[in-house]
Amino acid sequence: MNSIRRTIRPEQIREFILVLLIFAAILFFGSQIENYYQPRTFTRIASSVAILVVVAVGQTLVVLMRNIDLSVGSIVGFTAYFVGRAIVNNPELSPLSIVLLAMLMGGILGLVNGIIIAYGRVPAIITTLGTLAIYRSLLVQFSDAQTIITSALPEWLVNLPQVNAFAIGEWELKLIVLIALVIVVIFQLVVTYLPWGRRLYAIGSNPDAAAMSGLPVTRMTVSAYTLCGALSGLAGFLFLARFGNITVVAAQGMELQVVAAVVVGGINIFGGTGSMFGALLGTVLIATLEQSLLRWRIVSEFWRDALLGLLILLAVATDSVILSRLRAFWARGGVEQVQIEN
Amino acid sequence: MTEPILEMRGISKRFGTTQALADVSLALYPGEIHALLGENGAGKSTLIKVMTGIHRPDQGEVWLNGRSITINNPLEAQRHGIAAIHQEPMIFPDLNVAENIFIGHGNRGSIVRWRQMYREAADILARLDVKLDVRSSARGLTLAAQQVVEIAKALSLDVRVLIMDEPTASLSAHEVDQLFKLAKTLKANGVSILFISHRMEEVFSIADRVTVLRDGRFVSTHPASEVTPESAIRDMVGRHMDDFFAKTDKEPGDLLLSVRGLSKDNVFHDINFDVRAGEVVGFAGLVGSRRTDVALALFGIETADAGSVTLNGQPVTIRTPQQAVKLGLAYVTEDRRQLGLTMPMSITTNITLPTLHQYANRFGLVQQRAERQTAETFQQRLSIRTPDVDRPAGTLSGGNQQKVVLSKWLNTQPRLLILDEPTRGIDVGAKAEVHQIIDELAQQGMGIIMISSDLPEVLAMSDRIVVMREGRQMATLNRSEATQERVMAAAMGQTK
Amino acid sequence: MTRKLLSWEALLLFILIVVVLINVNLSPFYLGLNNQINLFQLSIEKIIVALAMTLIIINAEIDLSVASVMGLAACTLAYLHAHEQPFVLSLAVSLLIGAAAGAFNGFWVAYAGLPSLVVTLAGLIGYRGLALVLLEDESIGGFPEWFNQVGQQGLMGSVPFSLLLFGLGVVVVWVVLQRSENGRYIYVIGNSADVARYSGVNVKRVKMALFVASGLVSALAGILLAARLGAVRGSTAQGFELDIITMVLLGGVSIFGGSGTLTGVVLSILIILNLRNGLSLVNISGNTQTGIIGLLLILSVLIPNWLASAQSWWARRQESAAQVSG
Repeated sequence: MNSIRRTIRPEQIREFILVLLIFAAILFFGSQIENYYQPRTFTRIASSVAILVVVAVGQTLVVLMRNIDLSVGSIVGFTAYFVGRAIVNNPELSPLSIVLLAMLMGGILGLVNGIIIAYGRVPAIITTLGTLAIYRSLLVQFSDAQTIITSALPEWLVNLPQVNAFAIGEWELKLIVLIALVIVVIFQLVVTYLPWGRRLYAIGSNPDAAAMSGLPVTRMTVSAYTLCGALSGLAGFLFLARFGNITVVAAQGMELQVVAAVVVGGINIFGGTGSMFGALLGTVLIATLEQSLLRWRIVSEFWRDALLGLLILLAVATDSVILSRLRAFWARGGVEQVQIEN
Repeated sequence: MTEPILEMRGISKRFGTTQALADVSLALYPGEIHALLGENGAGKSTLIKVMTGIHRPDQGEVWLNGRSITINNPLEAQRHGIAAIHQEPMIFPDLNVAENIFIGHGNRGSIVRWRQMYREAADILARLDVKLDVRSSARGLTLAAQQVVEIAKALSLDVRVLIMDEPTASLSAHEVDQLFKLAKTLKANGVSILFISHRMEEVFSIADRVTVLRDGRFVSTHPASEVTPESAIRDMVGRHMDDFFAKTDKEPGDLLLSVRGLSKDNVFHDINFDVRAGEVVGFAGLVGSRRTDVALALFGIETADAGSVTLNGQPVTIRTPQQAVKLGLAYVTEDRRQLGLTMPMSITTNITLPTLHQYANRFGLVQQRAERQTAETFQQRLSIRTPDVDRPAGTLSGGNQQKVVLSKWLNTQPRLLILDEPTRGIDVGAKAEVHQIIDELAQQGMGIIMISSDLPEVLAMSDRIVVMREGRQMATLNRSEATQERVMAAAMGQTK
Repeated sequence: MTRKLLSWEALLLFILIVVVLINVNLSPFYLGLNNQINLFQLSIEKIIVALAMTLIIINAEIDLSVASVMGLAACTLAYLHAHEQPFVLSLAVSLLIGAAAGAFNGFWVAYAGLPSLVVTLAGLIGYRGLALVLLEDESIGGFPEWFNQVGQQGLMGSVPFSLLLFGLGVVVVWVVLQRSENGRYIYVIGNSADVARYSGVNVKRVKMALFVASGLVSALAGILLAARLGAVRGSTAQGFELDIITMVLLGGVSIFGGSGTLTGVVLSILIILNLRNGLSLVNISGNTQTGIIGLLLILSVLIPNWLASAQSWWARRQESAAQVSG
């Protein structure tokens, strides 16, 4: 028993249950929807995951240190729109510089969040509820009520979502999905192997102790929000590529899906625990439900948000009840924790 | 003697109108354990905060290895080799033991090398002769284990001066022994330890030298061999201390409370005792003896799984504090700051909180004049020292805060009063006053349960003493048969 | 030097006067009775919810789901009306749904011990989702004439209904907060729920009651909104939580609970109403106004923080000056 306790942590059981849930959902919808087990279904879900998970990775960085960013939807919309306009006006820009522009734009918006929270000591929920409104209204203000349309975009961008990274028969892995997965892996490594990443956990785990131990809490907050903004900017670019037509309400409400994905993925809303793989699993579950509901005849697609709300509640409730029991059980395994030899 | 590692020279620090420190000097030599004594408010914690860079002194200098230095924050203190272990360890519960040790290091390279970190953490723990799994999560570690992690953290930083601020306050005797063993190991390695404790016997068992502060001023530094508890206390309070206050003997009245076989899984087991009117029943035991849990179960904050509670001959099942208050129970918590008082709110508000409905008219509105009158009555009765009762409770000293908590519960006119560490963290004068109040209440026929880790207090105040150890009732001693040795032996499980 | 540089309420009063003066300069009709009544009429729904929210935030909780509950109640009313249920019954059911939504939030917060931030965030999504389930993408109107009258003309005698409601709400909340037993509990719990619990206060009941009240008031507000707009969609009242929370926090209620006064909240409500009105006078769009409200929300926490640090900096300077002279 003790060896099991040593190698498996309660959080990993949590993630494993999530995998089971995803399979259960797929089996369920497979029995309900005709022709569900098709490469097309996979591609659709995967493309939806691709955009969402990039934002969820950024959100995870912030939530790990006991913060939250509600402005991500506005940042995605903002960058999608203005990057789109930059391309329309300068079609000769290289893809790389476009991506960098998107990340820079998002990064600046995230930096503003971080500065207000870290240096102004305004609670994250208040700050980002405010910037959620501010960024969106800046977008509306400077867009002159115009829309970015697909036909004005360069061909490489419009075709990007269709590009396969590789394909096995009809099962294709799109390039943007691969990019998203690479980002998940990179940031999983970041939070496991970089001191910066470990400090995120430390700060979220005990902010007071973090400050007393001389961890750079202020700078960490700013950098985490900047990264979250930059990743939202990247997602804005993917959003532009996938949908082409960008109005001023683009990605409105995405913050709710992202927070849902993160919470369902087992990232503790009080910081300190969770992983990027968890965020990915949470995103996959939510995208699966969303895409499948669209095709499920019995229940209207309008049930989506109602279910999403319920899912968040269930995730948080199970975390606070079941996970704490598991942890207590784990901790009890180490009753004789300290032995000082004579 | 060699040169001192750390020297505080003429340190003064003022907060508003309070002179927290006035011209205090203190030298720490390598390989010594130096005890710092003083009543609450004597300036001990301010001095530590100056040493660790949390406060900057107004005047005076800090010398390290013969050089004058300035310390601007805890991180700089750490770089100078000065680290502090606080009463509440600074632990990151979601990180494992090894990471907790190394997280504060800024210079461990750009990538976390987990294996190397585990190895180094294990080495440090081995140096301390401690067995603790470096991979286990810090969540769920006992307080003692957390302190070991803190000490390991300090060692990993090549600490030369280690400050221990009442490290034993929440430890059991066994754990204190182990901590002292660690302290001696560090001392042998040339580390200088500044040790702060309210427990005199600990101070004399471990310290090489003893410094006493009073009212922010330096009083004396002596080798421990030249100091006796009496002389140290005389220095601390500046006057001779009379004998400990003792409860007046009185014939107990009717049976008030009878507890039989009270149990809660994994917490406490088969607790039996009676309380009569006018009786003080002391609960002795070390930390972790689960005395507070028994009290919380009586008061309805925790629920017992088995056993019976009879109050005034009626069997009762108490599930909520509301119910307990209605039945005439009151519980004065050990954690005044977090559970006893709401510090920003007024003394009056705090006093009338449990009885507020009595001050409300039939529309549910509070009659504030009546409330104030009550508060002022208690201000006089318990001599709470404050200009007026509208002040926030947080502005009072510890002893006066404790009197406010007592007032709040006395106002419910309880028949049974549970006191949990009623004199912890309050100064000697206030302590005597609290003892006097307890005695008066017992004289008036109140039944009192007093949980206390202060052995002389329990012995002087109780008619009967229940001794607990790890959730079990080890002994029930009458006043006449109880001695420090017997109580301690039972608390440590040494009885047959 | 612990004296406050400025009380928050005084600052708000000053801002209010400045905003009103600017508006008067912009339009001669500004101080006219009709315009002022109009101000209240256009925002009464948010205002009464803000009054309920004041109690919740002082209690150290938050309710992000209010706007969704408003939408859900309005949609329930429209749905039942469209399915030809008696109108008064529909009204009662809508109110009941609001109270139930509040009770659902309250249950998770008070009895399951989950953070209200997350619970009501789930509510924000979920209740809006239910509203969408009811109306899908339709818009439903055609309410009885008298109902629309309440919203559109809103005069009961010579006093506008909305102003009456505002006055009533302020009096009720003031009495509750400053004079009542339960109001005291709200403050104490906001400061320290543990102290309250250890003192025999039924913390769960107080929290539960507050969330039910918040749900009920939000439902009432949603119904009023339906009456004023004359038609309801799934997205009715979406995003209102921003204005509502801003009204409370700008009023000086601490987001950490335990402190805040109704005077401040009333002043901040007046500021926001007049500000929005003034911005409309200079043709600034509703969307931009929302951005400005967002900025105001941040500033309402940022500025007190700055003042506090400026104060301690000033105190430190005074202290060191005193030392030099002494």
